[in-house]
Amino acid sequence: MNAVEVRGLSRSFEGRAVLSDVSFTVRHGEVFGYLGPNGAGKTTTIRILLGLLAPDAGVVRVLGRDLAVDDAARARVGVLFENNGLSDRMSAAANLAYYAGLYGVPDPAERIDDLLTLVGLTDRRDDLVGTFSTGMKRRLGIARAILHRPEVVFLDEPTSGLDPGAQRMVRDLILDLSRREEMTVFLNSHHLDEVQRISTSVAILAGGRIRAFDSLENLTGASDRPTVTVTLADPDDRVRACETIAGLAFVAGCDPGGSTLLHCTLADPGATPDLIAALVGAGIRIEEVRRSSRSLEEIYLEALRSAEGGGA
Amino acid sequence: MKTFGVIAGREIWLALRNRGVVITALIFALWFPVMSAVGIAAGTDGDAAAVAGGIAAIALLVGVFMGYIFCSDAFLREKRDGTIETLLCTPVSLRRIWEGKTVGVAVPAYLVTLLSAVVTAATVSALTDVAIATEPLLYLHLAVVVPIWVVASAGFIGAAQLALGMRENQILGFVFIFGFIFLIVALQEVSPGGPGLSVMTEAVLAAAGIALVALARFIVGKVTKERIVRTIP
Repeated sequence: MNAVEVRGLSRSFEGRAVLSDVSFTVRHGEVFGYLGPNGAGKTTTIRILLGLLAPDAGVVRVLGRDLAVDDAARARVGVLFENNGLSDRMSAAANLAYYAGLYGVPDPAERIDDLLTLVGLTDRRDDLVGTFSTGMKRRLGIARAILHRPEVVFLDEPTSGLDPGAQRMVRDLILDLSRREEMTVFLNSHHLDEVQRISTSVAILAGGRIRAFDSLENLTGASDRPTVTVTLADPDDRVRACETIAGLAFVAGCDPGGSTLLHCTLADPGATPDLIAALVGAGIRIEEVRRSSRSLEEIYLEALRSAEGGGA
Repeated sequence: MKTFGVIAGREIWLALRNRGVVITALIFALWFPVMSAVGIAAGTDGDAAAVAGGIAAIALLVGVFMGYIFCSDAFLREKRDGTIETLLCTPVSLRRIWEGKTVGVAVPAYLVTLLSAVVTAATVSALTDVAIATEPLLYLHLAVVVPIWVVASAGFIGAAQLALGMRENQILGFVFIFGFIFLIVALQEVSPGGPGLSVMTEAVLAAAGIALVALARFIVGKVTKERIVRTIP
């Protein structure tokens, strides 16, 4: 059974389609990056998964349950929205104690102490949350979201509005938690770097549709037109290498990247040995040939272009 | 029941620490009774039953208004801040959340209303020689009817605040209050006991208050989470 399952999900608001036939799954223990530009429908997807909004069509399940109708199943799920779900007029410890009461957390005092230590807020436990910085509130919000040891935790733009230092701290915290607490993490984000650093699988949502969905490894490694970086042993060979490559039908393009570097885009994904053979045959000495993987940014921008072009 | 206590306890705690709301409530609870007490003292001609009836009527109106004042902190604030969304994701049903919040609002509202009644009685006593303490129906009114109407006011307005958008709430807030006041006056007029304190009037008011609480609870059962989430500003 998957931790999260979405099949044929569609939803529109006032006649405007926000989600169209969206399907993906998240396996247990994964850190799933749900990428998309602002307004793409990421938060709408989370709200539907959590039972806060109803889908127009399709089926959504979290841990095999429909959270819209299953009160008890919601105890197995944690959530962090952008507002952190905290009261500014209560202390850090009182906020956590409130949610511990709602979730029926056993030994809440001990759990609260552990989490405040984990998020580095022990010395501020009795201070009002209203006096906290945005980063501190976010860390406390994460502690609140995992207080009841959920099996799946939904994080909606967890680093939004944070400075780079705080972003990194929150990112490290999410990674640490996913390992330590063995949770499935559903990460809504438009920060490519963040998703690339911590996610194990990714779905890209643009124009209301899923444009890419796979493990991060497969997404960044797979391409119809892979790029190969050739490092020449002798900079003097560069012009001759470019001339040789220009005559090869299976090379779609070549960009010199430095005195000894050539970035070649192959028209045929299996042509790397042919490229090496051609260069060696031309008497060019090669230091290294490395197949470059596509960055998530390239894949993401490609998805956006596809959406803008009306691709379905 | 445990989650009900957790929610109600938190709302009482927050309400009593909200300086703005408490000061507003106290100003109204002290100013309004003092002004009304002068009118009661002047218009009842030393009749103990009429004085007690006047105090009872004022206490009921103050109670309804206190329910409204404290509601804004419990329901509307949670919606304005967006934290209601997180609360709706907990394993607690919407009805249980509403019940906890309603009682959490009603307790401080009722305490302030009782204070207001004491101030009214003290002011009337200072202005007349009427022995108010001898009217047992006034105690019944303050102990039973007033808390029922405080709960009805808090529950009804709270349900509306959950279901409606911020702008509608601003407009309809006072409509609800005046609606409640009109209803109380109308019930007293049509009651076989008539206006003032009588067993029959108290029974009619108590029954109507309970019916309003039941109606509010029914309405909350019809409010969807989607409705709440989509009216978050």
